[in-house]
Amino acid sequence: MTGRVVFGDFLDAACGHIGTADRIRGAAKDGVDLQQVNRSVLRIVVVMRRYVQDVTSGWGAEPRRGRKVLSGWAQAGVEAREALGNAAAFLNEPDTGRRHPRAAHSDLAWHLHAASTSLTAGRDLLQTHLATGPSGERQLHSEWGLVVTSPAAARTVLAEMRSLAQHVAPLGAELALAPGSRGTREARQNLNAACQWLWVLNARVSAAQRREPVRASELELLRSVPAGVPPPRRLPVRAEPVARLCQGVISSAERVRHLAWRSATRPAWSPELTVNSLRRIAATSTLTSHHCEILLRSLAVSSVSLAEQDPDGRATGLLRAADAAGRTRQGWLHIARALDRVTTDARLYLSPDAEESSDLALWTGRLAYADPEWTLASGPAHQPRPPETLAPIPADARLALSAVHYACDTLTSLGYAQREQVRAAGASQRILVTTRSLPDTMDIPRPFAPALPDRIESLVSTYNQTGRSAEDATARVAAVAAAIGSPSRVLTAARDAADPARRSEPGRGGGVARARDAGQGQRSADERQELPGPVERTLYDLGVTSPELLQRGTAIDRAGERLIIDAAAGLGPQRVRPSATTLSRSAGTATLVNHALASGDPRAAALLHGHASAEREPPEAEP
Amino acid sequence: MTATLRTWERLQHAAELADVLDAAYDAFEEMLQVIRAHEDPASELFAALLMAAASAADGRDAVAFAPSFPPYGGSVAPAVHDGLQAGESAETIAHAVAAVSRLLVARLTQAWESSTHPDDRAACADALRCAENICDLMGGGGT
Repeated sequence: MTGRVVFGDFLDAACGHIGTADRIRGAAKDGVDLQQVNRSVLRIVVVMRRYVQDVTSGWGAEPRRGRKVLSGWAQAGVEAREALGNAAAFLNEPDTGRRHPRAAHSDLAWHLHAASTSLTAGRDLLQTHLATGPSGERQLHSEWGLVVTSPAAARTVLAEMRSLAQHVAPLGAELALAPGSRGTREARQNLNAACQWLWVLNARVSAAQRREPVRASELELLRSVPAGVPPPRRLPVRAEPVARLCQGVISSAERVRHLAWRSATRPAWSPELTVNSLRRIAATSTLTSHHCEILLRSLAVSSVSLAEQDPDGRATGLLRAADAAGRTRQGWLHIARALDRVTTDARLYLSPDAEESSDLALWTGRLAYADPEWTLASGPAHQPRPPETLAPIPADARLALSAVHYACDTLTSLGYAQREQVRAAGASQRILVTTRSLPDTMDIPRPFAPALPDRIESLVSTYNQTGRSAEDATARVAAVAAAIGSPSRVLTAARDAADPARRSEPGRGGGVARARDAGQGQRSADERQELPGPVERTLYDLGVTSPELLQRGTAIDRAGERLIIDAAAGLGPQRVRPSATTLSRSAGTATLVNHALASGDPRAAALLHGHASAEREPPEAEP
Repeated sequence: MTATLRTWERLQHAAELADVLDAAYDAFEEMLQVIRAHEDPASELFAALLMAAASAADGRDAVAFAPSFPPYGGSVAPAVHDGLQAGESAETIAHAVAAVSRLLVARLTQAWESSTHPDDRAACADALRCAENICDLMGGGGT
């Protein structure tokens, strides 16, 4: 929407490379070097494991008996970590010890290598929202940190790792068992065993998905996580087109929201906390709310003219959102007036959030008014932008609504962040009043005195009410944004993820999220890749095309698969399993076991025995 | 343009630094009250008046932090001038506020030049910037 790099860009790039590797597999099959492939797959597995470690670090490595008390996703996380550890252990080459292996020469290995590089960059992007504190504890570095560390993000990361495993496992196993692949028997067995563990990961996470599915909105949210650096600051130039103005509003809103988040962590004694900053934010937020109201009314008019009626109540929803934005404006105006009567011990410094809140008022004003040179000091005769130029087609309406949504969301963040600052400053007696304003009976020989507690409480309460109004306006805009598929709908998912209790509260976005998820459906938990089994494959190789014969082959394969899984599941936990390489020592048995594991049945994991060095981090460096 | 604010006379005739600061304080406060009484979202000057109000409050506080500022002001609490009732147009208000802010710029510049205490000078400079800002927001005003 604003051209900012997001996590999904890297994930898509990785999937693209894996897809390309899969497509060229047939051409390269005869000459593929398994050692190179193993190395590239190892890099993918290592970075996948780090993703899983990042989101399951608090879940611990419970002993097997203790796992019964873990929830579905927590158990899946621990098992996914183990599966990736086992996969890495099979691919690791302890003899080489190279931290920088030579570059992959074949196209196929190169694409796998590139996939691991993209995955690493994606993980780095997520990590930009986190930092490590002096005692090694995890700290949030941005407002997105709440999303990245949320249970929803953990589930989503596991689901994405499952999706990757689903693609890498059959590709690697095909290469391992292909007669034309070049490599030692051990290299083949190790690659195949690693892929079997990827199938185990798939089965474990699939089981959790079936019990508690990952929502489409959560998948979209993770993909939308931007880098931890806000977009660059920019001011509008003369006569920017509407689309550029919308993008400008969104970028400015993102910057101000980030600065507001940072301001909430300021200590009470911070010299950045000045009455001038508080006043500037109150004034500019009054204007931004006002502009949002104007824009929402214009969009309502535009919505009716586009559809020639309002059958789905969209225009009504926009008008109600406009009313809520109007109430937010009144709230900020009350704050501005309340701030007239107080001051602070530190003055005249404008904090970064105060500076940039003016930018947001300017950007929204340029979008709201017809005057291409509108400024905060503009004089009379500025008319609102005609609705037909704001959103001539539905795509423009979606973008314009996104801009308003971002602005309202930022006003909510600002309201609550400012409330906390005022509360802290009041507790530290940094909010002052002039002694002139006090009754004559109070003889104070100084020009200023600390504000009385009731004054502070009244101010905090006004901020709180304004934050609530802004939240209400945001929720109303979000409802329309979800209905028309506006890109800003991720904001609702982000707030839900950061505060799961909010999702269930009526009128605070929960209904929006549920409606959205119901509308989009969820990613199927049973995205089973229908690989042909050994019998069916033999029939294909023979050139058999009869549907009846092929169906019989499939049935035989499934019966065999069920027999193997039932037998493995019935062995009991005390029975020592053979290692994956032992069980799949021949191509024939490997194909059978692979097929059973690829079925997605979580009981199939009972076939495998973990690698002895699975918990050890392989020396192979991630890209 | 005949509308003026009641602090105009005091500000124009204040002689000593303390008198100028006292009058400037009341002038900023009166501008603030006038603006607050007239800020209306439907007004064409809504944005400019809102921003000017913040500067008026900042300017008033800056003056009050000057060491030479008398803690007990001689004036009664300023109120909106009879000639600037709530029914006045936004343009009339803007002209009146601009006129006072221009006078503030002139008097605070003199006060800054004549003051010897560095904190007085700093306070005058800060208040001067606020008055200039109001003047700019009001489009320079009229006479």
